[in-house]
Amino acid sequence: MTLPDPALSPYLALLLLGFLPSEIWRMASLFFARRIDEDSEAFLFVRSVANVLLVGVVTKIVLLPKGDLAYVPVAARLGAIAVGAAAFFLFRRSVFAAIVAGEATIILAAWSIG
Amino acid sequence: MDTNRRWFFAGLRQALGGPAFYVALALMGVGALARTAGFPLGGTVLSTILVWAGPGQLLFFGAVAAKTAPLSIAAAVSVSSVRLLPMCLSVLPMLRGPRTRFSTLAFASHFIAVTVWAESLRRLPDMDKAHRLPFFFGFACACMTLTAFSTALGYWLTLSLPRPLGAGLMMLSPIYFLATTARSSRSGADWLSLAAGALLAPVAQSLVGGDFDLPVLALVGGGGAWAVGYWARRRAAA
Repeated sequence: MTLPDPALSPYLALLLLGFLPSEIWRMASLFFARRIDEDSEAFLFVRSVANVLLVGVVTKIVLLPKGDLAYVPVAARLGAIAVGAAAFFLFRRSVFAAIVAGEATIILAAWSIG
Repeated sequence: MDTNRRWFFAGLRQALGGPAFYVALALMGVGALARTAGFPLGGTVLSTILVWAGPGQLLFFGAVAAKTAPLSIAAAVSVSSVRLLPMCLSVLPMLRGPRTRFSTLAFASHFIAVTVWAESLRRLPDMDKAHRLPFFFGFACACMTLTAFSTALGYWLTLSLPRPLGAGLMMLSPIYFLATTARSSRSGADWLSLAAGALLAPVAQSLVGGDFDLPVLALVGGGGAWAVGYWARRRAAA
């Protein structure tokens, strides 16, 4: 079986590479008789892998940007992440603070270089 | 107005009082990413309605933009969505009444993602069982509808905004999902997995190439961080 190429058939790709891989877990939940132990090693393993994937993709977006982000120097992109992270910890793990600080940094940096 | 309808609107109002806007804002950046990845608008909005899981959508469009192999994309999205299983398992029993149909529950399960899950755990237990389903659907529909619009808005805006704002829009999802992942980190092994993702991603990209770097990254970085945690837990227990 060949899987669809997102560039050629985006809708089929969305169904088979986005919707189905995600939805199977919701469907699976309908057939589980009881709760599962989220601190089991299997779940810890999956969480670890999921974390790495998420951060990995974010790193790709930041290091190999497209669109308007590509015009901003890499130092400013990494700086926005760093400032966002600093605000996150400074305000006791606040997602809101991370967004405000990170966004302010990237917008100001992009604006100052013109 | 019948009770079902009243509770549906109660859920709708609750969502529009805050939660729906947070999800919508977070996913606006996904629309921007999809646009720069060359995805059509319809598919981008559909991704919000069909996938309805922020990290999965971020992975999907990030991987599409990086021209990752289709199999790697599917695997990455699926791994990131395993967390939906325990979420559904904690919410569905609260919605299930003696006469609730299987198809109704299956439909309800599709709406469960982090925001709807968290708010359901908070609000449903105090509610009469008969009112929970309409409330849930009202809440979830409001979140999804608003987010479908915001995804489209992000898509439209990204190439028509002044460049600094366009850049800000593209950074919105990366910052948001990094921060939410960091907030749910509980152990040293969790933090290690975040660091491994950031440090190994460029290495995997240059060694393996964009096609299959995600699975390698997942197994080496994710497996490694888990193994370190496993070893630490064993030592602590011994």
